[in-house]
Amino acid sequence: MRIQAVCGFGCGSSLFLKIKLDEVLQANGLSAEIFCGDVGTCLSQNCDAIFISEELADRVQDRAKVPVVVINNFMNKQEVEEKTLAFFKNQAQEN
Amino acid sequence: MIQRDNIRAQVLVLNWRDAIRNVGALLIDAKSITSDYVDGMIQAVEEMGPYIVIMPGFAIAHAAPSEAVLKNDTALITLKEGVNFGSPNDPVYLVFCLCCTDRTAHRASLQEIAKRLLAEGVMERIKNAQSVDEIMACL
Repeated sequence: MRIQAVCGFGCGSSLFLKIKLDEVLQANGLSAEIFCGDVGTCLSQNCDAIFISEELADRVQDRAKVPVVVINNFMNKQEVEEKTLAFFKNQAQEN
Repeated sequence: MIQRDNIRAQVLVLNWRDAIRNVGALLIDAKSITSDYVDGMIQAVEEMGPYIVIMPGFAIAHAAPSEAVLKNDTALITLKEGVNFGSPNDPVYLVFCLCCTDRTAHRASLQEIAKRLLAEGVMERIKNAQSVDEIMACL
């Protein structure tokens, strides 16, 4: 599983999101590779999901071939956890 | 960590653009960026929206790595009065600023800073800090 954390340039806020995602995955015994990407090139990167802020989601949602998970507050552990777990559950059902 | 000279407490600003200019000025003084980078940070918000306000009260101002970045660096200001970016996470009291020469070089140090900022209660303590010393003590 490869999850792309996306922000404007792939080097600032997405790194904060990556830290939170790593934390949530670890706490729930899940494993995935989280890497940072930027909104301009994220659609051409190979990944199984895109995690992105609400403001940027509109730019990719229509064209993305993988699930797009929208996170409003990158640091809200509860929100990140709920959405991450829901995503993993969906993936498990599809496979 | 964030250099002491790159931190200011309880800055008075007019609006979000002014906040970004203020934090950017610290990195210009540190000879880490040119003024083009500050314009780039403001332009990023104008073009992509206030996504840099990644959690309540906290914005991470940055632009893409470019020739306007002279070295990897970070800066932080706290605001006396919060400003709105047009984000659900408004008002913003902490503006963290970051510049990097490429997308990966700074990751280890930024990760370290992020972890400290995100530790329970740290943001609130920084927001309330009245001096640079008090902010340094939180980090």
